[in-house]
Amino acid sequence: MNPQIRRVGLALLVLFLALFVQLNYLQVVDAHKLANDPRNSRVATRDFAKPRGDIVSSDGKVLAHSVSSNDLYKRLRTYPTGPLFAQVVGYFSYTYGSDGVEKQYDGQLTGRSAPLQLPNLRNLLVQQDRSETVTLTLSTKIQFVAAAALGTRRGAVVALVPSTGAILAMWSYPSFDPGALTGHDFKAVKKAWDANQADPTRPMLARAFRDRFFPGSTFKLIDTAAVYDHQPDLATKPYPVLGALPLPNTNGLSLANFGGEKCGGVLPELLRISCNTGFAQVGLDLGAANLSAEATAFGFDQRPPLDLPGPAISNFPPAAAFARDLPGLAKSAIGQQDVAASPLEMALVAAGLANGGVIMRPHVLQDVRDAEGKVVNTYQPQPWLTATSPATANQVKALMIQVVQAGTGTAAQISGVQVAGKTGTAQTGNNTVHTWFVALAPADAPKVAVAVLVEDQPASNDFTGGQVAAPIAKQVLQAALSG
Amino acid sequence: MTRQAKPRRRTELGLIVLVVLLTLGAYILASLGRTASLPAHVGPFLAIILGLLLVAHLALRLWAPDADSILLPIAGLLNGLGYVFIARLDHRLAGLQATWTALGIAAFTVTLLVFRQARDLERYRYTLAFVGVGLLLLPLTPGLGRNINGARLWIRFGGITFQPGEMAKLALAVFFASYLVDKRELLARPTWRLGPFFLPDPKHLGPIVVAWGASLVVLFSENDLGTSFLFFSLFIVMLWVATGRGAYLAVGGFLFVAGAGLAYKTFAHARSRIVVWINPWAHAQTTGYQVIQGLFALGSGGVAGTGLGLGSPTRIPEVATDFIFAAIGEELGLLGTAAIILAFVLLVGTGLRIAIRAEREFDKLLATGLTFTLGLQAFIIMAGVTRLTPLTGITLPFISYGGSSLVANYILLALLLRVSAGSREARPQ
Repeated sequence: MNPQIRRVGLALLVLFLALFVQLNYLQVVDAHKLANDPRNSRVATRDFAKPRGDIVSSDGKVLAHSVSSNDLYKRLRTYPTGPLFAQVVGYFSYTYGSDGVEKQYDGQLTGRSAPLQLPNLRNLLVQQDRSETVTLTLSTKIQFVAAAALGTRRGAVVALVPSTGAILAMWSYPSFDPGALTGHDFKAVKKAWDANQADPTRPMLARAFRDRFFPGSTFKLIDTAAVYDHQPDLATKPYPVLGALPLPNTNGLSLANFGGEKCGGVLPELLRISCNTGFAQVGLDLGAANLSAEATAFGFDQRPPLDLPGPAISNFPPAAAFARDLPGLAKSAIGQQDVAASPLEMALVAAGLANGGVIMRPHVLQDVRDAEGKVVNTYQPQPWLTATSPATANQVKALMIQVVQAGTGTAAQISGVQVAGKTGTAQTGNNTVHTWFVALAPADAPKVAVAVLVEDQPASNDFTGGQVAAPIAKQVLQAALSG
Repeated sequence: MTRQAKPRRRTELGLIVLVVLLTLGAYILASLGRTASLPAHVGPFLAIILGLLLVAHLALRLWAPDADSILLPIAGLLNGLGYVFIARLDHRLAGLQATWTALGIAAFTVTLLVFRQARDLERYRYTLAFVGVGLLLLPLTPGLGRNINGARLWIRFGGITFQPGEMAKLALAVFFASYLVDKRELLARPTWRLGPFFLPDPKHLGPIVVAWGASLVVLFSENDLGTSFLFFSLFIVMLWVATGRGAYLAVGGFLFVAGAGLAYKTFAHARSRIVVWINPWAHAQTTGYQVIQGLFALGSGGVAGTGLGLGSPTRIPEVATDFIFAAIGEELGLLGTAAIILAFVLLVGTGLRIAIRAEREFDKLLATGLTFTLGLQAFIIMAGVTRLTPLTGITLPFISYGGSSLVANYILLALLLRVSAGSREARPQ
């Protein structure tokens, strides 16, 4: 039997040798490819474990910070301000990826986009931490005031600097805790994520720049600008005092004023008291082409170049849509029907009017600093759109001052500061209203523009844009101007 | 015979100390790598592994003082390294594996104590044949059998699951050896012809074909392809070793190809294994997921590995049992996997040397059969994990988590040592 036994040994030896060859193939020849295959989740873990810079507010508060953790992932991302900046800063989750600044500026935070330093002896010996700190234009002070003023009403607040496009505050309620999504206990992370997704109030939806609402009467700012830009004679045309405007081609349907009031007059008067019948007729007088062109000039129908993922495109229908729908044009002129705007867009409208007609690119990045704190990159403000002429902008602004001094927006008055603004109270169709206030201040040399939206307020005379949203805008303006 | 320390037992003791130190070092490193802290209970851990191996060592000193000196240390090393990985992968399984190791050592000791000579086993040949087939049938018993991952190989009583196939492997190896030794002359003499093959009288081939056929049918119905192949190969190889007739290998090869073809056609389970083997990437999220995760682990380990406790092998499904070799490849690299292969080569080489040096034919054939199953089983799972062959789930002897496998392999080891103690060169001059 011995010869056979020897051959059994030889056969097994050959099998083990084949195994050894295959292992050399997998662990030497093909190792690099397997180790870096995008489907190999170790790649994600390795990236997840890389050093990651802080995200800091303009007033120096740390909004996102990595602490070391004694596990596979080496570092745990924390958010000291919790929900306050969640919708801007975003999250950095192993399971759910990243969002917000964490996603937009990932290259800077990980140092991937940093210029390679000249190698010196120290760099050769230790692995260089090239992660960078991202400083935002948002201020914790103003953000906090915005959050406190809105309270537990669903809605959003956006404040920015008209001359640069720098966003000072961008808040929407409800918000979420990004820290709960970045933990390494993936069951708890999934639970937190699922709870957020199941919540009917949609806390992870950044209403401020990712959702759209009827802009209501705040859209009358664009009507007014369109008058000065396209048909200046309408600015002096007296509109009849009406309780309801009969709509063309409808066999007796009509568009009523808010609360059944009667109003009319020339353009400044119409804007001051926010007269629906007047502006519906202004819209019809201007025509679909002029109104649609003006809306597009102010940033509708295009994606705002915000440096955050996924800003919503605000909508105003193209002129052709109104060819057989004049009632629709009348309703669109007062920001109803198919008109939809994000709070960011309405803030940009105010900012354009404040900045002589030029809308600057909205942005949250202030600068990028290396690990030693040296500024390596500063955001350079750039114009986005020329919405209108300086003359038109100044004329509209003058009318907005009247709104706050003696019109629907008196609640936004600040002693010693001239505020220009416009109220909005948009019907939702569910027997509720979205209340708006957009404003800029100081009117002569604007330093800040804001838009405030409070969703789903009861449809009654006590819950208008002037009563609900204007006081919030006032607090945010005060906070921005005092800082 | 004087009661003095045999040189072989001294060598063994030295190797055991080395193995214990290696295992302890690996255990500490794995804990440092994973949590940057020393493991709790280092003392008890040291006491237990040293104690267990010393018990086995003393059993050899008492009842088989002339047995081979390196089999026990190698098994101890594989067992220890396996335990370190299991503890690192799944803490819950580690406690169970420790208990099973103790039971394995107990079975090892009892085997040496009960069977003072390998030929004692021959008496139970038919009993063992029935026990072997009976064990295989157990998982099919309603209420007792358990399906795990599509295969019905487990039985459960009193909260413990047990895989009887592992024990059946030993029983059938003993039965094959004793039967073949008896009938080898008859089986080597062909009396009739089937196609190109000359075959012996079916009367002599009958009992063994029945035992083997029954076990294959049972295993197939339990979807256990790995064990089926192991039993099939064991039978063919033992037949060939006993008779020296190449025709058996040829018939075996033909039957294997036919059987594999039939399995591919009729069993979705078998077909998917082959499809995945040919191109796992086309099924990366489904049937190919496990194999691909194993390949990623091996590739990520590279030559030197990530270091103990520093990889992420827990991404591989069934990593503590079927895929533990991939975990070793990730954290210890090619150096670690090559060391494991080398350990099995040493086990196989030692086992076959024992077979060659054994005097009695039964001892020779038994040692060959036992060594062959051990070596082939290790190859089947390592080759499956590395995609050298299609994957069939089976444990990696001494390393994988699995109580029945561990106990059975310790008994196998005891039988090999028993054979080695009775060989010519081991006898006192």
